[in-house]
Amino acid sequence: MASPKIVDVAVIGGGPAGLAAAAEAKGAGANSVLLLERDDKVGGILNQQVHDGFGTKVFKEALTGPEYAAIYEDRVNERNVETWLNTIVTDLTDERVITVRNKGGVQTIQAGAVIIATGCRERTRGAIGTAGTRPAGVYTAGSVQNYMNVRNLAVGKKVVILGSGDIGLIMARRLTLEGAEVVCVAEILPQPSGIAGNLVRCLEDYDIPLYLNTTVSEIHGKERLTGVTLAEVGPKMGEVKGTRRFVECDTLLLSVGLIPETELAVGVGVDMHRATNGAVVDDSFRTSIPGIFSCGNVLQVHDVVDYATLESEKAGVAAAQWAMTGQLPDAKINMSAGNGLRYVLPTTISGEDAVDFTMRPWKEEHDKSVVFKSGGEVLRRLKMPHMEPAGMIRVRVAKGRFKNVIDNEITAEIED
Amino acid sequence: MNSTIVCIVCPVSCPVDVEWTKEDGVTGIKNHLCKLANDYVASELFDPRRTVTTSMPVNGGDWPLVSVRTNPPIPKAQILEVMDEIIGVRVQAPIKVGDVLISDVLGTGCDVVATRNVKSA
Repeated sequence: MASPKIVDVAVIGGGPAGLAAAAEAKGAGANSVLLLERDDKVGGILNQQVHDGFGTKVFKEALTGPEYAAIYEDRVNERNVETWLNTIVTDLTDERVITVRNKGGVQTIQAGAVIIATGCRERTRGAIGTAGTRPAGVYTAGSVQNYMNVRNLAVGKKVVILGSGDIGLIMARRLTLEGAEVVCVAEILPQPSGIAGNLVRCLEDYDIPLYLNTTVSEIHGKERLTGVTLAEVGPKMGEVKGTRRFVECDTLLLSVGLIPETELAVGVGVDMHRATNGAVVDDSFRTSIPGIFSCGNVLQVHDVVDYATLESEKAGVAAAQWAMTGQLPDAKINMSAGNGLRYVLPTTISGEDAVDFTMRPWKEEHDKSVVFKSGGEVLRRLKMPHMEPAGMIRVRVAKGRFKNVIDNEITAEIED
Repeated sequence: MNSTIVCIVCPVSCPVDVEWTKEDGVTGIKNHLCKLANDYVASELFDPRRTVTTSMPVNGGDWPLVSVRTNPPIPKAQILEVMDEIIGVRVQAPIKVGDVLISDVLGTGCDVVATRNVKSA
């Protein structure tokens, strides 16, 4: 095999996170940045998300996915980031040696710093164990989005959607606009998984019913899907007897969650976070292995691309700094999620700079506050009119607030 | 009158509490995290509009479809009519983000514009 290609920063994944990280790594002074993308185009999921709503935080306007991606693709090109398309990363070592496969065969890359920005894939029927036959016509919502919006393929005429995640809601509208009948959206939880805005503009606008506490208990059909059995579920997720009903349909879309593509991160041995299923990172987005960084949806599932972008830009700057100088501020302050919060990222911080913390609550909360405390003293309190598990909370804490940290421990929690 | 309107401008989806009358319009607004909610809420009460996003088939492009949107947003009541108008129109590559592909669609004063760059194949 030829000797490895040497680069300062290698970014794995050319979606919104990878594009932003690569552009900023170059902008922050890395001499050579290599972006690795397995698809034949950069942009990732944004290429198929033709709906609008992207960019309201970063650009103060609602762009569509392709428009948002084009901005960062242009930036990467202007800054002369080298991009390898149709390239899959098969291995990453803790010495930052990357093995890739593409048309040129197998190649290796020695990177000063590596940013893992591999995003998520969709949870499938197998992952949720739905009973019944195995006919054609059962898809994940994101694949249908790709068929319809990128490849110009239609999937069916009468559709049931299981799961009220955002992609499912957006596809309910998309299928309706393209002439299919969306019979209903069924959600196993007592509350919708997607954001409230999508319930309005994707379901209510088109009178599509949403059934909560409801799941697909059986799939019917031999060659092609002929229908599904819906059933109500009780508080312990058991089926409620006598609530089964057959719904005729030729297509079932699953929008039942995203799984971070962490194979490379896990393979190289970085410490993983129990709640996010992504890596544990500090406020420079360093993982537990020196020189390996992570950002975007593989780190934590974002519901707003703007926040994935902002996070990835920071990761890009930090990776460039580490690659060029071998130095980043020591992150010795531990963060923990207290009352009401599932997690808080980053998990360690230096306290030498402001930090944008990201969190998710366990349940819907009204008129509560997010509070950062150390040694019983409040460092920062922010009133939140409305919090829900479907919405990531993002709170900036200024550098000055970390002066009063006691014993290098901070807890974030929800209070009245 | 008091209404709660979910702001759909961004994914935060603020459930905005609005006080309004037919005569004076919006007289009070709270529970919103940014200014974008002000215009949205007023529009939703008196002239509801939506950005329709879809795609159109492309001849001779490196993508088979170009994604498009209405600009500015069209009246909500005309969404399906506008879709009928867009469906069936083919466009020719190359196309750049922002190119007007149908101007003044159905006399709404709104254009259908490209949201993706499509190069000639």
